Amino acid sequence: MNRGVWAVLLWPNLLASSVPLDCREEQGILSRCPSISQEKLLDRVIEHAELIYRVSEESCSLYEDMFIPLQFQRNQVGYACITKTLPVPSSKNEIQQISDKWLLHSVLMLVQSWIEPLVYLQTSLDRYNAAPEMLLNKTKWVSEKLISLEQGVVVLIKKMLDEGMLTINHSEQGLLQNGVQPQMLESVMRDYTLLSCFKKDAHKMEAFLKLLKCRQTDRYNCS
Amino acid sequence: MFHSPPAKPGLTSCRSPEKETFTCWWKPGSDGGLPTTHALYYRKESSETVYECPDYHTAGENSCFFNKNDTSIWVNYNITVVATNALGRAFSDPVEIDVVYIVKPNPPEKVTVTVMEDKGWPFLRVSWEPPHKADTRSGWITLIYELRVKLEEEIDWEMHLAGQQKMFNIFSLRSGGKYLVEVRCKPDHGFWSEWSSTSYIKVPDYFHREKSTWILITVFSTFTFLILMWLLHMNRHNLKHCILPPVPGPKIKGFDKQLLKNGKSNQIFSALVVPDFPPATSSNYEDFQVEYLEVYVRREQELVLEESKDLHNSCLKSESSTSDCDSGRGSCDSHTLLMAKCREAKEGERQTDRECSPMRTEAQRRLKDWEEEALNYAHAGIVSLEMSSGRVKTWPSVFSPLPRYSSSPLDQQSSLQMAKQLSLSTSSYLTQPGHSTKEALGQSYWDLCLSSKQPHLLNPPTPVCRELQAHSDVNISSIGHKRAPAGPRSPALHTTEYVEVQRVDNKDTLLLQPVVQGCGRMGGCFQMPHGEVYSKVKGVDSDNVLLLQREGMGEDRCPCVEQETNEVTGSCHKSCTVSTTQKPSGCIYTAVPVRDEMATMANGYVDTATMCTLHTC
Repeated sequence: MNRGVWAVLLWPNLLASSVPLDCREEQGILSRCPSISQEKLLDRVIEHAELIYRVSEESCSLYEDMFIPLQFQRNQVGYACITKTLPVPSSKNEIQQISDKWLLHSVLMLVQSWIEPLVYLQTSLDRYNAAPEMLLNKTKWVSEKLISLEQGVVVLIKKMLDEGMLTINHSEQGLLQNGVQPQMLESVMRDYTLLSCFKKDAHKMEAFLKLLKCRQTDRYNCS
Repeated sequence: MFHSPPAKPGLTSCRSPEKETFTCWWKPGSDGGLPTTHALYYRKESSETVYECPDYHTAGENSCFFNKNDTSIWVNYNITVVATNALGRAFSDPVEIDVVYIVKPNPPEKVTVTVMEDKGWPFLRVSWEPPHKADTRSGWITLIYELRVKLEEEIDWEMHLAGQQKMFNIFSLRSGGKYLVEVRCKPDHGFWSEWSSTSYIKVPDYFHREKSTWILITVFSTFTFLILMWLLHMNRHNLKHCILPPVPGPKIKGFDKQLLKNGKSNQIFSALVVPDFPPATSSNYEDFQVEYLEVYVRREQELVLEESKDLHNSCLKSESSTSDCDSGRGSCDSHTLLMAKCREAKEGERQTDRECSPMRTEAQRRLKDWEEEALNYAHAGIVSLEMSSGRVKTWPSVFSPLPRYSSSPLDQQSSLQMAKQLSLSTSSYLTQPGHSTKEALGQSYWDLCLSSKQPHLLNPPTPVCRELQAHSDVNISSIGHKRAPAGPRSPALHTTEYVEVQRVDNKDTLLLQPVVQGCGRMGGCFQMPHGEVYSKVKGVDSDNVLLLQREGMGEDRCPCVEQETNEVTGSCHKSCTVSTTQKPSGCIYTAVPVRDEMATMANGYVDTATMCTLHTC
């Protein structure tokens, strides 16, 4: 409930962050679009990621309570995450050792890899007979905000790393077509796997971004 | 001893305090009597490699500690514990864990509670530090905090959620109370930590502030109390009357409280005796009489008005009075008759009714009903109502001569008033037919015209006119319309102004009684046609005797009268006009000062209303 309140309160922030932040700076012409400082941008991205994680956790809990009553079923999802093939650091030691650039790129990779599966999840949930309205709303909201997060991370990368515009190419991330989850034929388990994996990855994004922020302020004390 | 392979152990829990390391604990089963060793094996997701627990000792017995290097986040661990003894091994159930979800931080540290002052009202400020192991600074773990407070003597804690802040204020403290404060924390995805160690704080007494309030309240209430007391003092008399009403004293005339206090009962009761009560004066029964009016309505539209007194009173009177001079009685109404009536009561009446009115008409009977009602109105509880078939007797004979009967003005007035009341009541009913409605009476209608007069009083009489009109009879109608000359004394007399000396009382007052034509209560009397019998002043002789004359008497007019006169001892006599037609008869009346106002009517009728008291011989 707390997180729901968070989601509601930070809604304008999310909308604000969806404003195009990447102003194309033409030669000799001052940019007319409003720009934002890097710190503020990073803060907003972090808030965004936090919200996404909270909403995804709530969705997962809702789904669990309604469709996955048995505990052993809940434990089976670990192996089937679609993003496990991604080269994402998975321990704090590793995270402490990777660079900022790599952190950002990891975040971007995660975000981009989840946009399409969430859409798929949404369509799958819509086919349910007894899916609660709140669950559908949350998942829908998450999929929408993930796109915004992607935009923010792209701008952040551009600002922090002075890299050019990264092309957002979703077609390359067709992970679902890889047949990663051949075992998951039952739609309920498949959807639950999607939700829980996404929850985990959202937490990853949040953690990476927060660490990144810590590094920006105080590099040597960030554990 | 029986040895057996070990029983299956079981993993109890795995916890990570900071999301960087974690520890798993297991519980061994029965060892089967042999030394048993336990080993923990784990496997990470997406890898088939089985690793054994790196550290069995750091976390204590039956535990496995995973350090930072061995801990992977967002990775599922499949952990199994194996118990081994000489006879066999036993595998526990595998447990899937993800370190991220098994975080249970340490309690917050360095909890400090201080008392702060806010405009005189103190509050508690609680501050703490996150557990030192949790890396909240880098955002690796996001912790939310919760604290609880209670007074030392209370049982229930008061919970406060502090969110991510590390400081909290507690207000609404009890003065001089001792509080206990504890804090705990939880990651955004994980378990609550244990409560921190209790911090004690004592709130200083801010009694002085409460005291000032009490002083204010006391002053205010004292002020109000004083005002109330003063108000009560001012109104003490009223209050005394209200609460302790004075005992009413006896108000009996002649009652002397002093006598009562003296205690002599004889004097008390003698004093109570009112000398002139009951009044011993010669009772003038006329005072108590209520004369009632008998009204006939015949088919021939003859009005027969008969007056008679109250039976009882008249009976009494007739029996007791000795100086009853009813020399003027020319009708059937005489004391003897009345006495007979008393004796016969209603039967005689019935007889007379039957006899006297052979010509009962339907109209009369028709009238009877509503006349009865009229009488009911006229009843007024004063006199008894006498109903006879076809005959309506209205009690207050408010005919003008009637008032003269009474001797004393007061009695007259009282009787008149009674009569007036009755007449009024009856008139209210009877005058309704009035001039307009004639159907009610059929062919004959009549309305009583009675005027109550108080000749002794100069007040103008309130004429309650009930005009008795015969519809067809000219004389009567003419008489009915004829009215007395205007004057305070002039009644609206009508044809029914038959004068008959009822009696003469001891004060030489001639009491006249209107004569009702026709049959009175006496049998054998015929109803005279209207207009045949009048009182006509024949003359006044030297002795100031007014001679009244009757004319046109009916037949058998007054046998009763003669009867009466025989009985009555007295000088007065009345030569009743014999009921012979066209035989003038005169009745001698003695009248004292005949007023000038006494004007004979054009027809020679005497307006007896203008006559004052007539002295009898």
